[in-house]
Amino acid sequence: MSRTTVVGACPHDCPDTCSILTTLEDGKAIAVRGNPDHPFTRGRLCVKVNNYQDRVYSDQRILYPMRRSGPKGSGQFTRITWDEALAEIAATFKEIIARDGAQAILPYSYLGTQGIINGLNVGDPLFNKLGAAVSERTFCDSGSCTAYMMTIGHTPGVDPEAFVHSKYIILWACNTLSTNSHHWPFIEQAKKNGAKLVVIDPVRTRTARLADWHIPIRPGTDGALAMAMMHIIIKEGLTDRDYIDAHTVGFAELAERVEDYTPEFASAETGIPVEDIYQLAREYAATPPAVVRIGVAVERHAGGGQTVRAIACLPALIGAWKHVGGGLLQLPIWAFPVNWGGLMRPDLQPETMRVINSWQLGPALTGELALDPPIRSLFVYNANPMAMVSQQGKLEAGLAREDLFTVVSEHFMTDTARYADILLPATTQLEQKDIMFSWGHLYLSYNNPAIEPLGEAVPNTELFRRLARALGIDDPFFHRSDDEMIAQSMDWGSPVMEGIDLETLKEKGYLRLNMPATGEWAPHRDGNFPTPTGKCEFKSTLAATGNFVVPLFRQGYNGGQSGEPVDPLPHYIAPNESPASAPDLAGKYPLSLISPKSHAFLNSNYGNLPAQLAQAGEEQAVILHPSDADVRGIVAGTPIRIFNDRGVFEAFATVSQDVMPGVVVAPAGYWQRSNRRGPTVHALTPPAFADLGRAPTFSDVLVEVAPS
Amino acid sequence: MTYVVTDQCTGCRYTECVTVCPVECFHLDDEMTYIDPENCIDCGGCVPACPVGAIQPAYLLPPEQQKWIEINRRRAAETPVITSRLAPLPGADQRKMALGR
Repeated sequence: MSRTTVVGACPHDCPDTCSILTTLEDGKAIAVRGNPDHPFTRGRLCVKVNNYQDRVYSDQRILYPMRRSGPKGSGQFTRITWDEALAEIAATFKEIIARDGAQAILPYSYLGTQGIINGLNVGDPLFNKLGAAVSERTFCDSGSCTAYMMTIGHTPGVDPEAFVHSKYIILWACNTLSTNSHHWPFIEQAKKNGAKLVVIDPVRTRTARLADWHIPIRPGTDGALAMAMMHIIIKEGLTDRDYIDAHTVGFAELAERVEDYTPEFASAETGIPVEDIYQLAREYAATPPAVVRIGVAVERHAGGGQTVRAIACLPALIGAWKHVGGGLLQLPIWAFPVNWGGLMRPDLQPETMRVINSWQLGPALTGELALDPPIRSLFVYNANPMAMVSQQGKLEAGLAREDLFTVVSEHFMTDTARYADILLPATTQLEQKDIMFSWGHLYLSYNNPAIEPLGEAVPNTELFRRLARALGIDDPFFHRSDDEMIAQSMDWGSPVMEGIDLETLKEKGYLRLNMPATGEWAPHRDGNFPTPTGKCEFKSTLAATGNFVVPLFRQGYNGGQSGEPVDPLPHYIAPNESPASAPDLAGKYPLSLISPKSHAFLNSNYGNLPAQLAQAGEEQAVILHPSDADVRGIVAGTPIRIFNDRGVFEAFATVSQDVMPGVVVAPAGYWQRSNRRGPTVHALTPPAFADLGRAPTFSDVLVEVAPS
Repeated sequence: MTYVVTDQCTGCRYTECVTVCPVECFHLDDEMTYIDPENCIDCGGCVPACPVGAIQPAYLLPPEQQKWIEINRRRAAETPVITSRLAPLPGADQRKMALGR
């Protein structure tokens, strides 16, 4: 018996990008564990990945190409060869291109695997070269990114490890212990050093339970709180005038703007007592170093972008950036000098391309969007839209179209894969190699493959090499090996890559970017914001160009941006759907629905696997406040219906004081198999975009609940 | 569902587990440690840390060990949190050797 260990990195769309040690016995992976030497992983993984080998060897894996042999959506397939699959895809693509043009083909993907060569952009060069429709992927943080760019630029922000130096920590819409758990020890250390931890969340989450102060807030009203905090800070002279004078623009206009956003106004919107708003603003301003960590959820409502604009103004207002461990943390991904252009190849695009937003997949397929030509083929990889995309009913109808040619590359027979015409087997992280950025720490990682691919599964890189060959594309760029792709994936000459070489990276599995040491680094102590003015822009220069999605999320394409006018000063936009903003709708549907990440799933990943279902519960549970349950005659543990004009789904009731009255919580990621009548929570979520970056509005939904 | 300490801990109580737990969810009495299921985040970090293999995910417990889920829940509520490692109980090393660990 031979036992070896391989160092790799977690593939998931999570900020932590853990270093993983895989134990092999006679060539088979028998266990994975967190790398104890990695400063962020610290020997731990999580409920999703602890038994990753069971995902790899699951008897549910798709291991061979298959062709549909039953009605659409039936899940009936017959095994075919790779050559047959590729020939059919290539022939169909060519036929579509000849008849309707390449823009009748729509790629659809996100971060089912997050590796730099197999992840977000792996298919972009091919679809750009074909001139297919651009898939505008605004799944996550797109509104925040646009708001960030408009305010402080694409800065990595505070070093996550520097939280140990913070004295006042606000986790805003972030359930760290479920979705960013390896950051927790740094927060815990800060608490031991005397820091106060504040959690702002409609739900008393695991994280909120361990906070010094949990502030429940009505969904979608965070912007009112941030504006009122600025109102108090400016009115009471809690600002850092030197910092403002030297490193910001638009202070006078901002001061005027926040006049109207009184704590009383914010209290009425948010449900937070006036005195708590005063206390929060005063403590935040008076307890340096103060830091805010925002979660993805903060953008998921009508005013999500302006909410992030307002929050991003706060640290400059009080000079928080002057201190190590002070400022704002959103996406340290911007620290990584990834060769995005070389990954996406926007230079291959035709001059004009058709852009179709990820949240509009249903209406795009059904014809509701009135596309000319209509979408004839959908190519899905790294994604399970049937589980994660709004307007689920429309999506299901669109996928059922007999004349739609759907290709899905997957590990499992997901709710989306069931609708494929051609199903292709994809490798898991143990079977592929990759280089990984992180959006939660500053370590570049390398994933060494631990085992050979199972069956005929291939990495996404190989999938697109094969597809290029089948389509007769000779350009050697499309036939680079994984090693060549990795070598070209980064700007190795960047100063932050100094001291990082590929051989050491492969051997060790991770290396910290060459940033200043955590204990010394205050990234904006002297301003240096990556904005047009180099300053924190309370009044945004980029707002003049109107609303946009960062090209990284649209295959590098910058044409056809939505461009709605944007007010250059932060402001509050009330939810589309709340009892206060839509009283008529609330007459029918009085409860606000939110759908946070499930503790045991990574989006819809693991929604089919026994260990995670054992943790999460085999069937979807929905949490209500006792007062909302009682008035409807709902008993804990019994089946309920959750519905609005868009649809209905069924679940089991959990009754708990952990949610605010008037709020209903449906953790997302469950597959239809876990919902008693099929549809899941996204049957109810709305089509509306948030104000910036075309973020979704999943936390901006009114529903009613009744016993089943 | 969560992780649980089983009777394998009894008589050893190495408390290595508390050094890796990020959320201080270990409690203890004179016999052994217990995991607070309300605070455990299911990270699994304690499993390889235990010298005698006493910690397991609840869903993998054999039927005769299922009782430990409730015992952990109850005893965690009744006993104090332990935040740093203690000396093992007398005889722990001999017991560990006897277990072939």
